[in-house]
Amino acid sequence: MPSISEYKNFEVNSANLKHVRTFAREVFNKSETLKNYQEELVLALAEAAQNIVKHAYNSEPSTDTMKVEINYSEDGLLLIELFDKGKAAIPENIKPRNLDDIKAGGLGTFFIGQIMDQVIFKTSKVDWVNHLILKKQF
Amino acid sequence: MTYKVTEENNISTVFLNGEIDMDVTDKAKEVIIPLIEAGKEVHINLKDVEYMDSSGISVLIESHQMGQEKNTRVVLKEISKSVLKVIMMAKLEQILTIE
Repeated sequence: MPSISEYKNFEVNSANLKHVRTFAREVFNKSETLKNYQEELVLALAEAAQNIVKHAYNSEPSTDTMKVEINYSEDGLLLIELFDKGKAAIPENIKPRNLDDIKAGGLGTFFIGQIMDQVIFKTSKVDWVNHLILKKQF
Repeated sequence: MTYKVTEENNISTVFLNGEIDMDVTDKAKEVIIPLIEAGKEVHINLKDVEYMDSSGISVLIESHQMGQEKNTRVVLKEISKSVLKVIMMAKLEQILTIE
């Protein structure tokens, strides 16, 4: 199983979300295992990127960049990391919504939780404000 | 995302095409919501939608709820496999009208 380690920076705006997805698809296509889960993994990563645009930058386009990093190790551990310089996230306030409450919005965090094994927020990374880690063991 | 709207027997069908994310949800709403507000039965055809995230799902929920308010039907038609997977992940297949 070959290991993968790739990253790319994107300007923070909603028009770039499609480019984030294209990058993710290209990387996931390099592994047969990840390729089989490509749709779900792209959704999880794209929801996290969307949350940066929406919440860290209040949906305002910015010339700031966000960094998307994908690491897949030989032991089958996938790490998707997103870094941004927007408003600091308050992890306690980020909760998936109750699905019984049928309303528009708030589903992204739920999807990420459904697809990935673990979601870790960090706010102390040097050079960045927010550092989100999505983990999945294959 | 691109779209096409057809009218037949007082039913408006909105054919959505491509990828639906937060960048295009306003555009999708601008097409769908006025039709519902006008009291028409609205069919949203999703056979050519290759990707839909939570923002796109929100458009479907809002359309469904507005249909209930206006007492008109909003029906999802020919849902692509990838979109159906997301609808089911959100456990909305019993809530939204799917034919």
